[in-house]
Amino acid sequence: MTSGRRRLIICSTAMGSAAVLLYFMPLFHVVPLEVAGQRSVAATFDPVAFVDSFWTERLLPSADRAVDVATLVAAVREDRQAAKRAHGRSVGLGGVYYYFVAGTGRVVAVEKNSVGLAVLDGEQQVQVALETGNIFGNTLRDGTGLLDVNDIANSQDFNALSSEINGRIEREVLPSLRSMAVTGATIRFVGCAEIVDEDTDLQPLRIVPFIAETP
Amino acid sequence: MNRTSLRVMSPSVFLLFILLAGCGGDPTPGGGAPAPLSATPKIAVIVSTLNNPWFVVLADTAKEHAGRLGYDVTVFDSQNDPAKEAAQFENVIASGYAAVLFNPTDADGSIANVRRAKEAGIPVFCMDREINATDAAVSQILSDNYSGCVALGQYFVKQVGESGKYVELLGLVGDNNTWNRSKGFHSVVDRYPELKMVAQQSADFDRAKALEVMEAVLQANPDIDAVFCGNDAMAMGAYQALVASGKDKRVKVFGFDGSEDVVKLIAEGKIVATGMQFPKLMARTAAESADKYLKGDRDFPQKTPVAVELVHQGNVGKYGDYGRKEAE
Repeated sequence: MTSGRRRLIICSTAMGSAAVLLYFMPLFHVVPLEVAGQRSVAATFDPVAFVDSFWTERLLPSADRAVDVATLVAAVREDRQAAKRAHGRSVGLGGVYYYFVAGTGRVVAVEKNSVGLAVLDGEQQVQVALETGNIFGNTLRDGTGLLDVNDIANSQDFNALSSEINGRIEREVLPSLRSMAVTGATIRFVGCAEIVDEDTDLQPLRIVPFIAETP
Repeated sequence: MNRTSLRVMSPSVFLLFILLAGCGGDPTPGGGAPAPLSATPKIAVIVSTLNNPWFVVLADTAKEHAGRLGYDVTVFDSQNDPAKEAAQFENVIASGYAAVLFNPTDADGSIANVRRAKEAGIPVFCMDREINATDAAVSQILSDNYSGCVALGQYFVKQVGESGKYVELLGLVGDNNTWNRSKGFHSVVDRYPELKMVAQQSADFDRAKALEVMEAVLQANPDIDAVFCGNDAMAMGAYQALVASGKDKRVKVFGFDGSEDVVKLIAEGKIVATGMQFPKLMARTAAESADKYLKGDRDFPQKTPVAVELVHQGNVGKYGDYGRKEAE
């Protein structure tokens, strides 16, 4: 065998081996832009920035869409299911639903983690409990109808929004709410209630507020 | 062909191969030609594992319901192995299935399989577990794991108290459900600094592995107060380890899934609580969606969350057989 022929065989073998290697481990992948874009968005999702703009541009302006609390409390007393159909909001499948609610009430009880309000004229009973302790779960994220699971690439990012919203409520809303929670004071609020068990969650309505102020 | 031509052509062929190898690595989404349908259209149920009763219920319900809707149904077990799952998809694509009811093994790793099916014109409907893409499956019917574990975390604090030592057993680390459950739980429990997590280990959603892991954890941490498990199979394994070490009366066990054996142990006061998922509801919804799709409907939300309900001794009577007694 001549040395030229040997070189050619060695070279061809090397290129063949490299080709096999590259077949299994290509140097790059060609992907459509929409897929690349989705990956990039997923990789850079920033819940703090998202909630910053959501809070000021969408959540606060949405307050006038909330059902009046006195109307809701009266409707629930009359017929739970009719109230749910008229004012409730469900997400996906299952029995859990939400009320997006606003109104004014008189402080009749101050507990460790909530402020009890009477919202119907002439009544002393707590009809609404505004949460003032740690805020957990997706009540505000899912209760307003402003955010949809299908708008966010994956559920971990969607759940990160709940943590950020809850943290913002604890930092920006609850301190002033606690300071105005004196028996007899009047408080205006806007927030959401989650109804998991109708036997316990409708009386009182436990509301996670994003606005709480003296009228 | 002479030697000079070979010398010139070989590098060119090599370069062309590099380009083609890159293009072939990741299939693009888009409608391919529909797979040919047999007289009775076939539906594949590809499930992450059949080594866990909860997933057996999911797969069996999907099979039964799709069968009732007039399809020939075959169940494929991926055995929690993404490579096996990829092979199941190849098989399904080559065998002319009309649709796939799919329980993925990996939120990222399973995307390529769904895209391959989509390219071949086979619609895929995810059940229970999510893939991290919103343009591949027709729809994804998913348990709201995060909310379920927020409720479970709140109940955990109520039962264990605001101080103590606990262990967390995680599921498969590549599955979003693992982290949604863990994050939901920790979003509550981490607010109580005196509740100390002394160990956090994966047992892959597997009962036998959970038994092994728990035995090892108990050696190093004999004085724990509670264990939170990312699913009920692991809760059963952890409980078994606690019984073997004589600590089952002292250590509180929390699971997630709502499997029949754990619901039974909650009723007997041996396990504290679980999150009831609804595998039958998810499987039925996926089968009905596939049927509607194959009949021409194209209006499906990409993701449909399914609420998870807390099951504890106070309400365990309302639950059984993988759901609410009156609802399922």
